[in-house]
Amino acid sequence: MLIKTGVPTIDDIIEITPPKDRRERGPVAVIECFQRIPCNPCFTACNFGAIEEFDDINDRPKINYEKCTGCGSCMTRCPGLAIFVIDESYSKNEALVKIPYEFLPLPEEGSFVTGLNREGKPVCRAQVKKVQIMKNKTNIVTLVVPKEYSMDVRGFSTMAYDDENTIICRCEGITLGEIRKLIEEGYRTVDEIKRISRAGMGPCQGRTCRQLIMQEIAKSTGQKIEDMPMPTFRPPTKPIKLGILLGGESDE
Amino acid sequence: MNKTANVVIIGGGISGCSIAYNLAKKGVEGIIVVEKSFLASGSTGRCGAGIRMQWGAEQNCRLSKLSVEFYENANEELKYDRDIEFNQGGYLIVAGTEEENEQFKKNVELQNRLGIPSVYLTPKEAKEIIPHMDETKILGATFCEKDGHLNPFHTTEAYAKAAKRLGVEFMTFTEVIGIDTKAGRVTGVRTDKGYISTPIVVNAAGGYSKKIGEMAGIDIPVYAQRHQILVTEPVEPMQKPMYMGFSLNIYIQQTPHGSFIMGRGDDTEPTDLRITSSWKFLEEMAKTCCELLPPLKNLNIVRQWAGLYTMTKDAQPIYGAVEELEGFYLAVGFSGHGFMLAPATGLLMAETILGEETTIDISNLDIGRFERNELVFESSVV
Repeated sequence: MLIKTGVPTIDDIIEITPPKDRRERGPVAVIECFQRIPCNPCFTACNFGAIEEFDDINDRPKINYEKCTGCGSCMTRCPGLAIFVIDESYSKNEALVKIPYEFLPLPEEGSFVTGLNREGKPVCRAQVKKVQIMKNKTNIVTLVVPKEYSMDVRGFSTMAYDDENTIICRCEGITLGEIRKLIEEGYRTVDEIKRISRAGMGPCQGRTCRQLIMQEIAKSTGQKIEDMPMPTFRPPTKPIKLGILLGGESDE
Repeated sequence: MNKTANVVIIGGGISGCSIAYNLAKKGVEGIIVVEKSFLASGSTGRCGAGIRMQWGAEQNCRLSKLSVEFYENANEELKYDRDIEFNQGGYLIVAGTEEENEQFKKNVELQNRLGIPSVYLTPKEAKEIIPHMDETKILGATFCEKDGHLNPFHTTEAYAKAAKRLGVEFMTFTEVIGIDTKAGRVTGVRTDKGYISTPIVVNAAGGYSKKIGEMAGIDIPVYAQRHQILVTEPVEPMQKPMYMGFSLNIYIQQTPHGSFIMGRGDDTEPTDLRITSSWKFLEEMAKTCCELLPPLKNLNIVRQWAGLYTMTKDAQPIYGAVEELEGFYLAVGFSGHGFMLAPATGLLMAETILGEETTIDISNLDIGRFERNELVFESSVV
C-alpha cells in the first residue's frame, strides 16, 4: 500500500508509534521511515546514542525511546523528512508536533493553520508555536494540536482550518459549506445570502452569522469588510410576544 | 461602459424577471434587466408571498388563475435547482360586515364561473379549517384550496436563472438615472454604470415606477404606499391556509418553515417611498391578530419590515404600451399583488411587446382607462 499510495497503513503507524507512557513524559522522536534505503544521517546526528548503529546501511533505523530526548537533531538531518518530534506533555489537551518543513513562505508564529494528516487531508485546527530556521534549510515548525492528533498531524496548510459542516447560522442551521457555495454562485452581500438561504432570519436576527458571513465574503472576493454594504438590521431587536404588545395603550 | 440592447427592463423584481424570461423564451435576444440593488430587493422580497384566485374583479381572477397554474409546475418549467416552495394550503377569506358577506357570495359565483374552485362557508365551517380562530368575529368566509404561498426570493431566482440561461443579461446594483427619447420614441436608458441604447423600455420598477415614468415624461397614475409586515419564530404546523380579511384588515399565514407572517393595511401610512418600520404597526397588528386568532398571542415576533404597494385607483395593474411614447411599456401598479400575478405579467407583457394576441385580453388594463374613466374596482384588497 505504501509503495502505491505513499501513505503508510495503520499497521505501519502502530509499528513506529512510541509507547504511550513515553509520549506522555515529554518530547520524543517518531521515525516514520518505512522503506529500506541506503541512508543513515539520523544515526550520525544523534548525540545521545538513541538511534542504534546500522549493521547494514539499508536497514531501517531503530530508536531507543529511553535514550531519546526529543532534541530534534535527527529530524533536520533526515533527507526524507521522515522524522517528527511529538510532545504530549505540553498541556492537558494539547500536544506539540514538530514538523521538518522545506516550503516557503514560513508560517508566522502564533498564526492558526490547518493540520494535515499523512494523506494531506485537513484534520484539525493548529497553532504555530515556533518556527526555527536552520542552516541546511530544513526548518522546523512546531504546531500546537489537540492531543488526539499528535500521531496524526504530519503537515499543515497555512489556510485557516475550518470545516464545511460548521454551523454558521445557528437559528436556521446553515453551514459554512452552504454559505461558500452561495458566494461561489455570485451572491455577494449578506442581505442576498440571507434571503436565499434564511441565514440570519431566525430568532437571533443574525447576531452571530452576520459577521461570519461578511468574513467569508471578504475571504473569497477580496473585498474589505468595511467597504461592504451594511446588512439590514430590523426591529424588534429581541423577540417579543404578540400578546405583550396588547398592553401598550393603557401604559401611556 | 456603453451597451446596446433590444429590450431594457427596469426592475429586477419578480415582474421584471418574469417578463425577461418570457421574452427570451419567445426568442428575443439582447435583453438587459437593470436593477438598482439585488434581485428581489424591493417589493418582491418584502411581500407576504401569498397567491390567491379569490377576487372580486374578473380580470384579477383570470390573471391569478393563469399564475397559479404556472406556479404549480414552475420548478420544472424553469428548471430551478432549488425549490420555489409553492405550498397550496388555501386561502380562507373572512367577512367582517354584512355587505362584505353578500359580496363574497357573489365573488364565489364569479370565481366558480371562471373555473376557480372556491366555496362559501359559514363561520362554523370556517372554524373547522382554522380551529384557533374566534368565529364569532366573522359573518362568513370563502375558501379556495388551490390558493397558497411561495418563497419570493427563490421564485425570483428561478425566473432569473432561467432567463440567464436564455441569454438575458442582468445588471444589478445599477441605477437608472434617465430615459432618452427622440421624436416620440424611446432611444436609450442612462444608468450610473453607463448608457444602454435600446428601442424598447419596460417599466417594471414597482414602487419606483412613477419616477421611471417621469424620466420618460409619462405621468403614470400610481402612488407607492408603505405596507408593513412581521414574522414570528417558527412553531409546529397549526394553520394550513392563509387567513385573510378585508374589512377586518388582516392577512396571516403560517409558512412551511413554521413561522407566521402577518400584515395589515393602514391608510395613514406614508407615500414617500419610505420603507422604515413603525411601532404603531406592531401594536395594531398585535391587536388585530389576537382579537381574531387569540391563541397566537403567545407567538414571539422576531422581525418586522416594510415594502411598497404601488397603488392604482382601481387596485388593478397597468399593462401595456403608452400612446405618447413608442417603445415604452408598463407593468406597474399591482396594488400589492404583483408577486402573485407575475407569471401572467411576464407572459402577457411578452405577447404585448411582440404584437401577438394575448392569452388573456388585457386591453382594458391599459393606462388609458384612467382618462376614459373605465375603471373596474377591486374590493378584495388588504
